[in-house]
Amino acid sequence: MKYAVKQVTTYNYASAVPFAKHVLRLTPMGDAGQTVLANTITIDPAPRERQEDNDFFGNRVTHIAFESPHLTMTITCEAAIEKSEAVTDDLAATPTWTTVRDAVPLIADLSPRAPTHYIFASRFVPIDPTIRDYAGQSFTPDRSILEAGLDLAMRIKADFAYDPAATDVTTPTTEAFSLKRGVCQDFAHVMIAGLRGLGLPAAYVSGYLRTEPPPGKPRLAGADATHAWVSLWCGEAIGWRGLDPTNGITAGGDHLTLAFGRDYADVSPVDGVIVADGGHTLSVAVDVVPEGETLPEEPPRLS
Amino acid sequence: MYRAQPGLYDEMVDAEGAVRPHWRALLDRFDALGPEALNNRFEAADRHLKESGVSFRVYSDADATERPWPLSHMPLLISAEDWKHIKSGVLQRVELIEALLADVYGPQQFIKDGLLPASAIAGSPEFLRPMVGVPPVGGRYLAFYAIDLGRSPSGDWWVIRDRAQGPSGAGYAQENRNAMSRALSDVYRGFNVERLGSFFEAYRGWMSSFRTGDDAGTCLLTPGRLNETFFEHAFLARHLGFRLVEGQDLTVRNQQVFLRTIAGLRRIGALWRRVDSDFCDPLELNQRSQLGVPGLVQAVRQGNVMVANALGSGLGEAFALMGFLPALAKKVMDQSLLLPNVATWWCGQETERRYVLDNLDRLVVAPAFVSRLPGILDHGPTVVAEMDPGARAALVEAIERRGVDFVGQEVVKLSTTPVWTKGTLEPRPFELRVFVAATADGWNVMPGGFGLIGDRIDARAVSMQQGARSCDVWVLSDSRVADPSHLAPAREVTIRRSTGALPSRAADNLFWLARYLERTEATLRIVRSMAALLVEERSDISALVDILFKWGASPQPYPTAGDAAAAQALFGTGPGAIPALIRAARNAAAAIRDRFPRDTLQALDDLNAFIVSTAQVQATTAYVLDKANTALRIIAAVAGFQNENMNRLSGWRFFQLGHRIERAINTCRTVRQFGGEASTPDTLDTLLEWCESQRTYRVRYLHGASRGPVLDLILIDESNPRSLAFSIADIVTHTLAMPRTPNEGDVSSATSMAQELLNEVRAFDVAKLGNEQLLACENGLMRLSNEISQLYFTVREPAPASVS
Repeated sequence: MKYAVKQVTTYNYASAVPFAKHVLRLTPMGDAGQTVLANTITIDPAPRERQEDNDFFGNRVTHIAFESPHLTMTITCEAAIEKSEAVTDDLAATPTWTTVRDAVPLIADLSPRAPTHYIFASRFVPIDPTIRDYAGQSFTPDRSILEAGLDLAMRIKADFAYDPAATDVTTPTTEAFSLKRGVCQDFAHVMIAGLRGLGLPAAYVSGYLRTEPPPGKPRLAGADATHAWVSLWCGEAIGWRGLDPTNGITAGGDHLTLAFGRDYADVSPVDGVIVADGGHTLSVAVDVVPEGETLPEEPPRLS
Repeated sequence: MYRAQPGLYDEMVDAEGAVRPHWRALLDRFDALGPEALNNRFEAADRHLKESGVSFRVYSDADATERPWPLSHMPLLISAEDWKHIKSGVLQRVELIEALLADVYGPQQFIKDGLLPASAIAGSPEFLRPMVGVPPVGGRYLAFYAIDLGRSPSGDWWVIRDRAQGPSGAGYAQENRNAMSRALSDVYRGFNVERLGSFFEAYRGWMSSFRTGDDAGTCLLTPGRLNETFFEHAFLARHLGFRLVEGQDLTVRNQQVFLRTIAGLRRIGALWRRVDSDFCDPLELNQRSQLGVPGLVQAVRQGNVMVANALGSGLGEAFALMGFLPALAKKVMDQSLLLPNVATWWCGQETERRYVLDNLDRLVVAPAFVSRLPGILDHGPTVVAEMDPGARAALVEAIERRGVDFVGQEVVKLSTTPVWTKGTLEPRPFELRVFVAATADGWNVMPGGFGLIGDRIDARAVSMQQGARSCDVWVLSDSRVADPSHLAPAREVTIRRSTGALPSRAADNLFWLARYLERTEATLRIVRSMAALLVEERSDISALVDILFKWGASPQPYPTAGDAAAAQALFGTGPGAIPALIRAARNAAAAIRDRFPRDTLQALDDLNAFIVSTAQVQATTAYVLDKANTALRIIAAVAGFQNENMNRLSGWRFFQLGHRIERAINTCRTVRQFGGEASTPDTLDTLLEWCESQRTYRVRYLHGASRGPVLDLILIDESNPRSLAFSIADIVTHTLAMPRTPNEGDVSSATSMAQELLNEVRAFDVAKLGNEQLLACENGLMRLSNEISQLYFTVREPAPASVS
């Protein structure tokens, strides 16, 4: 299936910002089962400096800098993505989770997707005994890893309330865990903390999820959110598999990957340092449209 | 009687109690001097350290105050033979760690070959993934590296830990040497002790080789004056001729690093960092860092700046790696480690984990990658035998679940060295930190080191934060040590005149230091006038009480009693009271201590100590008068030191600008208070006294104080150095001498503003002068101060904030 994705990110500043530097991770990555057919990033106002490169994890990074005062910054990303049908695993046939755990320290590989990067604490993910014990309930002896992983994702979906008011991007994972509330970012971090606490390699994936409009209603512009989920390494033979604790499902054909890393800090779509007198407000609008449908406002301009 | 501790090696005596040969001469000298003379010498060393302002900061203190430097007065003597071994071992180790870093951030062949487990690297928070595949400018990861050594009961030296991030202690080692070689100059000269000077000179040469044609010089990046070893950063910057900078002094444009100076942006070619790698760039590393330079990683990636040590070098410190170094040395250099590690087992491997769990009670368990593991190893490395059963059980469970996070280590027994306590020598355990620095053709080991002596006899790992002492380390040479003056023949020394552009933050702090000093003096003068009037029992002090209230020095206006107001101003807690003003001045001075005459800092400390030690809020008037007079004399000394000892460069001009602007403002205020339309002969007398102009007035005029002549003398007479016109004329001179940024005209906006103010003051008609004219002048001076900030102190912009 082919998708057209459009994300518009707008910063409004309380007073003019004379100097700013940003790092953008807004270019979707080619990944297992995903091909990026076309992609553009437009920035308004035009930055004074702009460079592109790949980060360690293979994410496409855009570095920009402004040296003249601006009151707003708008970043428009458009991409055409082809996604193949999701692999359906026989969950029970995946290796036992302890086999995977014991294999990781022996793997002589430091390349970006090597599992060893994903078993340690990272900026947003502590190794926390309480979260580990919570996750451990799904990982009974000899259970197969993907079955246990999906069980954990479903338990998080059941035990946690989706509540955007409860947390923000800086909320520590331990706090979200004790609140039992939050958004996709918090659920992914909690799940990763639990998996790593058990010694299992778990990564953070940012991206988009197509949401179906209610039957009979037109698709609303910007209603499709930026999303985040977990990728779990299931042994050499299978590799990485997506699990979505926000929805309690495996991450399948509707999950479009933007960036991959250890936690939010590695994939944060817009990082920046600005010289500013006041605060700022941020709005993000996302549209994910299957090929053949059109956006309600304007069609995506794709090169 | 000095004896070695049972089962431990002692540096000075052997197991039988016989003095080791290389200590004999020192003890004989000390015997010859006798305890009293020796004590005097040791006190002289302490005095030297105090006067040099040597200090460190202890984080656990409630107010994190600076502590004076605790020096153990006995040097640690290292025999030529021991040193030869240590030196080879350190040189071998720095090459090994360098090779490790180059591989891990490069081809990762050691990992592929199974010499290093991938997890032993990936688990380190100092393995900075943005630096993978980025070759270091200059070809080396390490420029300044250290190891901590201990000596085992068998007499062998062992490596306790590696210091690859940004080792501290080399500057303190130099200060210890300065103190000891002065206090014991005859003893020191009689020994062949290796000198430290050429070590620093060679390192300076290496760092300077990365400078570009017209850059701003090598910079030393410090976290700032609240850092525990900030004193050392300032000392080393001054000692090596580097610029001391904080993150906000630097900016990255077009992937190049620049220093913000009063004359615009100046390129930086080399940066010696004392900020941990992860905090060096909030954009690509730790976003929460306030200490870094946004965009630095990009500049490094492009090869546009040499950073020492390379970002990510701290990886070399991980305990997890220690166990693999012997095999790595075999493979890489075909050598055994000359200085063995403390035996270390990383629990990420099944066999090693088993060994550690089976031998727990004979081991120390430490976090494999970090200094502490909250909830399990709260205090870092811990002797398992000393843990309570609950904590021990939790540790065992944690190791079984996630062995990768732990190492087991042999319990280290340190050797002892003598310390001088109350007239006798006693053995204490110590660690020796040895430094090695890059030079143009290899590595150079500092012939000496930083001795850290524990407080308790059973200490295993010693930390400066835990009440330890440091000592000078004398490396003894078999041959005569060349006098340092012979090392650099005069013809080879390039004449260097410090110029270069002044960093904006330094200018800012100098300006405000001068303003706070002047404000202190102005307030002290009011206090003194008041106390003098009260002692003479003259009547009207209302104007004095009110001005202290207006300046925030005392909490209440008239009719508060004069003696209460004066005591509050001198000792109280008001924002304009003397203690607060001195604090502000010291804060400004501390931030720029590298570019400051030492005597000035010492005088400021003296002033502070004097006010604190004599504070009596219920003081008598006579007491206040006496203290205010003494404080004014110390302030005069500060001004004197500044004038005599500060080079006439732009820094001095900013100091003068701050001084003159503040004095001009205070003069306007004081004249409005005491010389306005409602003035009386008494208030005019106060005004003359405040301005130190009484004598001049008496010589010129036979009659008592009358308004017109007084105002002429204090406001307009440019031959009077305390007049308003004199101050403003001086401001014009200094602004004219300031560097111009390219987009300015011939005359800066600050000069125009100052010149306009001067014209107005010269045109004052003292017969008709009203308070509103003085107020207008005062406001003009404040606008001028803001203009100077805008022009030169660009870091006064609001601090950068993170967005996400």
